[in-house]
Amino acid sequence: MRFRMFACVSAALVCAPALATAQTSSMFSNLANPAIGMNALFSGQAAHNQSQPYGLQFDEAEISVISVVDPYWTLVSNIVFAPDGVDPEEVWARSTNIPAIQLKLGKIRGTFGKHGLLHTHAFPFIQAPIVMANTIGEEGFKDAGIEAAWLTPLPWFSELTGGVYQAIAADDEHPLDFGSNRHDNVPYLGHFKNQFDLTDATTMELGQSVLSGRGVEGNPHSAFGADLTFRNVPARSSNRHGWILQGEYLQKGSTAGGNYDREADGGYASFQYRLSQVWWVGIRGEQARKSSTDFVVDDAGNPISGRVNRASANVAWTPSEFSFVRLEYSHAKADAGIHPTDDRVMIQMSYTIGYHPAHAY
Amino acid sequence: MKSLIRSMFVWMPVLLATAPAFADLKVATSLTDLASVAQFVGGKHVSAQSLCRGYEDPHFVPAKPSLMKSIQHADVFVSTGLELDGGWLPLVLPGSRNPKIQPGTKGFVDASQGVNVLEKPVGTVSRAEGDIHPLGNPHYYADPKNLEVVADHLAQVFSGLDPANAADYAANAKAFQEKMETSLEKWGKEMAPYKGTSVVTYHPNFVYFADRFGLKLFGTVEPKPGIPPSPHYVNQLAEAMKKAGVKIVVYQPYYNADASHEVAKRAGATAVEVATEVGGLPGTDDVFSKFDALVSSLAGALSGKSGGQR
Repeated sequence: MRFRMFACVSAALVCAPALATAQTSSMFSNLANPAIGMNALFSGQAAHNQSQPYGLQFDEAEISVISVVDPYWTLVSNIVFAPDGVDPEEVWARSTNIPAIQLKLGKIRGTFGKHGLLHTHAFPFIQAPIVMANTIGEEGFKDAGIEAAWLTPLPWFSELTGGVYQAIAADDEHPLDFGSNRHDNVPYLGHFKNQFDLTDATTMELGQSVLSGRGVEGNPHSAFGADLTFRNVPARSSNRHGWILQGEYLQKGSTAGGNYDREADGGYASFQYRLSQVWWVGIRGEQARKSSTDFVVDDAGNPISGRVNRASANVAWTPSEFSFVRLEYSHAKADAGIHPTDDRVMIQMSYTIGYHPAHAY
Repeated sequence: MKSLIRSMFVWMPVLLATAPAFADLKVATSLTDLASVAQFVGGKHVSAQSLCRGYEDPHFVPAKPSLMKSIQHADVFVSTGLELDGGWLPLVLPGSRNPKIQPGTKGFVDASQGVNVLEKPVGTVSRAEGDIHPLGNPHYYADPKNLEVVADHLAQVFSGLDPANAADYAANAKAFQEKMETSLEKWGKEMAPYKGTSVVTYHPNFVYFADRFGLKLFGTVEPKPGIPPSPHYVNQLAEAMKKAGVKIVVYQPYYNADASHEVAKRAGATAVEVATEVGGLPGTDDVFSKFDALVSSLAGALSGKSGGQR
């Protein structure tokens, strides 16, 4: 009898921590964890004008985390880890509770143009158009702010977006100078996008954008953009065939004493063609004026501005939706700097794991 | 003038009273099959449209802004669920800016609820197995019985949103189930001689149909879901089919017909194009005519009398 009691007490003592652990664990349910994904980009470049060894390099790893917060908000974030540091590229909350209006607030990618809305791994060519880095930023205009996108009552998709942002001075990522300390310096954005179904398979999209604020000297600084995209996705082979014809023009300028100065402008036209489920090819022609890029430098290696023309061609192998390898060649000419021409061959590898929804159409 | 004002007073209440008759539930769905069931259950009170067309791969619907516009004023959105539309719906639903149909609201329906899901992965889910669906095979609409579950589910949803017509929705769902049962008996008889026969499909979206009618799935033209076949794999599959005596390769209009025909040619088999979604081929305008055509094509091909190319 005494032994039985001892056995029971011993068993209870042994089990108690286990039960407590089980109860403690259930307090921290992971069922409502957000969807998580990661994209990793690697590249290699052979460019004779660049003083760097040819070889493979790690470009960035982008961690995406998204979840519904409550019945009113969804939180989206993209954190980029790159060799030069960590950038909370996008961290914004979205509300879809207002009829016809989508509200975004936080650190957002301003709805300006077409290319500026793309994440790096979704660029159609390895190199962003030169005009991007000279007008709104190589990866678009990224800033803290609030945007409202109104889906108008017109019978086709017609969206009018307005946004206001934090005043931010020009730097490597933000070529636009919105650095004035004036109280009325609230940079604002306007974007008008219309999309039409031309046929069962082909669509046309037309966009106009404007972004404006005050620079450190107090004068208005602005960017303007227009884009036109034709896209074909045959319904019977949506995962095997199709093409995209796209053109975009961007301009950056400032006004002083009533005179507008066009500081930089340019554009590109590109054509991408899907040969099969796994093969894409593309060509692009572009021009950027009063612009600088990595090979347009003076004798001392300092960047200078000039007119740059560049042609690119690439081929991509996409064995699945979650990875691709791209090979790209570009030839460029500049009317300034010590290198009148530039030729380079690049390779890029992209891998995505976890949750990753389709990119915007 | 007086008579005009008088007639306005007479007709206005009549017009107001009849207004609810025009207040149909606008229903949008991911798939044509779900739109067909929704239309049957909703009858005159519902107008249903599908975002994905029957001849379009439901995995890869381009998230066109025009799709967002088309559901801006929908009262109900019926998703296929099980992540079949998971690639494009997360863009289209928020883009519609329609608070009534966002997940978590009464207007959002996951049509897979209540369905007996097949091929639920056991253990770790890995994309080494291709583009698999972690929640199980989402092509449940290829089994007529599962559409009865969907019809019942939709009747409940429509009744909740439009209680005035709840009796009609319940009656329509019952009529749908009765018609489906009668049709199932007919399709069952047509397919009965081929129970146990092996077939090859392009993608694993025939699992539910095969399970219902007793067909055996020998393999797929895709080596893994979402991965296109290599010439080496086509050869391997054809050789295996030859040895096992498999005589039919089934593919949908949105899959690579060339690869399916190549496999069939090398195996001495027949490739048959079928619609597993409403509207996939001519004469498949609703779920009943779709299954009529599907059963007829397969039975014809399996009997060696008609269908496909050898």
